Amino acid sequence: MEFSGFFWAAVFWMAGWGVIGSIALKRRYLHRDLDTSNTSMVGAFTGAAAGPFALIPLWIKTPRLTTRYIVLPVIATVVVFGLFFAKGDPGNICVTNGTFVASQFVNGLVIGIIYGFMALGLTLIFSILGIVSFAHGEFYMIGGMITYFITSVWLPGINPMIGVLGACVATFTLGAIFERMFLTPMYEGKIDRPVEYGILVTFGLAFTLQYFVQATAGANPVKAQRFLSFPRMGLPSSEDPWLMKTSRGSMELFESVTISSPRLTAALTCIFVLLALLYLLHRTWTGKALRAVSLDREAAAIAGINPDRMNMLAFALGGMIAALAGSLLVQAFSWLPQVGAIPAMRSFVIVVLGGLGSLPGAFFGGIIVGLVEAAGTGCVPDPQKAASYIPAYGMIVLTLTLLLRPTGLLGRKYASATHGQN
Amino acid sequence: MSRQHIPTAAGAVFLLILGLFPFVYNGGDYDYVMHIIIIAFFYAILASSWSMLAGYAGQFSFGHMGFMGIGSYTTALLLHYIHFAPEPTSICTEFAIGGTYMIFVNPIGVTSTSLAQDCLRQAMDVWDGSVPVSDVPVWLGIVLGTIMGGVAGLLVGLLVLRLRAAYLALFTLGFAEILKATISAEIQITRGQAGLETPALFENGITLFGRVYSRTDKLPPYFVFFFLMLACLAVLWWLSRSKFGLFVRALREDQEAAAALGVNTTRYKVLVFVVTTSMAALAGAVQAHYVGIVTPNALFLLQMSLVVAMAVIGGVENFVAAAIGAILIQFVLELLRNSFTIGSVTIDMTIWRLVIFGIILMLTLRFTRNGLIAPIIEYFHRGHVAAETVAKRAAATDKDGVQG
Repeated sequence: MEFSGFFWAAVFWMAGWGVIGSIALKRRYLHRDLDTSNTSMVGAFTGAAAGPFALIPLWIKTPRLTTRYIVLPVIATVVVFGLFFAKGDPGNICVTNGTFVASQFVNGLVIGIIYGFMALGLTLIFSILGIVSFAHGEFYMIGGMITYFITSVWLPGINPMIGVLGACVATFTLGAIFERMFLTPMYEGKIDRPVEYGILVTFGLAFTLQYFVQATAGANPVKAQRFLSFPRMGLPSSEDPWLMKTSRGSMELFESVTISSPRLTAALTCIFVLLALLYLLHRTWTGKALRAVSLDREAAAIAGINPDRMNMLAFALGGMIAALAGSLLVQAFSWLPQVGAIPAMRSFVIVVLGGLGSLPGAFFGGIIVGLVEAAGTGCVPDPQKAASYIPAYGMIVLTLTLLLRPTGLLGRKYASATHGQN
Repeated sequence: MSRQHIPTAAGAVFLLILGLFPFVYNGGDYDYVMHIIIIAFFYAILASSWSMLAGYAGQFSFGHMGFMGIGSYTTALLLHYIHFAPEPTSICTEFAIGGTYMIFVNPIGVTSTSLAQDCLRQAMDVWDGSVPVSDVPVWLGIVLGTIMGGVAGLLVGLLVLRLRAAYLALFTLGFAEILKATISAEIQITRGQAGLETPALFENGITLFGRVYSRTDKLPPYFVFFFLMLACLAVLWWLSRSKFGLFVRALREDQEAAAALGVNTTRYKVLVFVVTTSMAALAGAVQAHYVGIVTPNALFLLQMSLVVAMAVIGGVENFVAAAIGAILIQFVLELLRNSFTIGSVTIDMTIWRLVIFGIILMLTLRFTRNGLIAPIIEYFHRGHVAAETVAKRAAATDKDGVQG
């Protein structure tokens, strides 16, 4: 099934007014000597949502663009796009089948939490070291591999918690050693152009790790057994389980939304670890020191914090978070040495969307990207193409973010590490 | 001969050896050895153009293989879909140009499971050989591929103007990934993973130096790639010596300062993208005809990693060193291919060589920032200048007590 001409005309209309809005509004605000930091985004979304009917009042009144002016057009754009989609393709499963939509939504939310959690590691590394780790996907892959080997090959039948913990310990150590050997010299002035060095050396690490795993573990796809089987039950009663029904591998809510056990356990563990991480960052001395270094390196050093140790901790912790995401998802997806590339790309997208260096931003960005991907895979008519285009959905989000709001949703204008942004 | 001329002389000897090699070499595996060198030239073009983009201009683009893919897919699609015949097929979309008809073949995708044939095939069955059908010439496909690569470079360059360092790297990486996803997904048009077949560089053979070479002979493509590489290096050399080279290096060091001193940063940033991406596309287009098939696998991240590693190990801030690095590394990688057995353990070197390679890459980055080959050239070329500068810098540092 293909989209009708009407749908493409509508998309063209929205995109056209979006472009006009973002350019025109910025010029207007510049002309009037007003703050232009949000104009591109507001203009683009207002134009896309309502075309000239909302742009003209904005053009005439030029109000101060507060959060309200950002959030409303974004919601309106999503709604308008949805309406056009429904009109353009009335027989689509996303339009006719409410149960399917609810199921996609919940699954998008669940996987989005895991994505956000993984991106959190990347943003943690960036906020403290000021580099983007290109080896993030490989940490994810290694986490899954180690868990698979512990739970299925070396010690079959062992509590999967041991496997997850083993993966965490191993990747934490690896991250710490790598940071000491290759990244610490950046901060001792031994390397000129540290940003480029940071990109290339983590890229080299990714390359090495990927082929190391391929050489030792082989290139055949592997998959761990699911960690947790639900007890078979129905709520409120097993005869009429309208609220909740479980089988061994999955859970059905309200007789419509199905969540598989691996994804649910992964998402719940992620939330749990996230809370622990927040506790660490906000309530302990180490966490406060980490945040202090991310705000101002020199000042933190004056206050008696050793920034180099915080670097090491941040890199190891960031890698460990990715590995934890991987070790939780190895029960849901089949695992290859190359499996890290797409999650790594997705983490980058999420981190840029949420704002480089912002922890809550990463989490919300993850949920947004999870939902966008769920919508993309569920609603695009040709399912085979839809699946192939999964990386593209994220990239559309990334391109829009970079064009309209380069600082991201919750980003700070400047990162702490002086070499972070230029 | 003074010390300064040693690299030039060595380079000349190296080129002479490469130029004479196909005539002199008569050992075993002639085709295999030639193939390795051809691929080495291909990587040399990619690595040196990438080092111009990343090392000189500081634009760390990880989408270089994407542009290469644009080049190869442009020529492959063009030659696959457009044909000329003196008579109309009356099934296909076609236009009359003078006495010939330009025929657009309808996309049918991979046909292994069905017997559906494209419209030109059907027409040819009817004609039964009475009407000669001709393709787009290979050289035109390559030229258009190069131009398309340049245009894509222009668009991406304009889009990433405001992005720096990590953002740029991420965006270009994503660009290449989307391209790969699109090509893999649009099976109808690109035949996805099955790949598009392309005619050979010299489909009807070629006569060189009084000898006739058939389409499968390695010598003609060897010299095509050899001279392409020399041409690319010459263009890069000329650019680096001109105002352009100075300006893009200024861009790399400090964009604001360069702009303040009157460098049109927008123009040069976009220009360096266009130049290097069209080189990548050129290499891709020629390689598509040499290999005979294009698949989206060529855009894999591994290929990009190889180019990056070659450029870095050679010397990312010196495109000649990057090219030499690419050629040498291609050789070393081939030599390391032989697996061996220690006791009961078989070491599969096809993978382990890449691990070793990655470790060398990281160590090179860490300890000799300029790669392994660039410092050798530097040592002979301007060792005395460098020593002087370092001494001056050290003196200045001691005085101010400030680190760089």
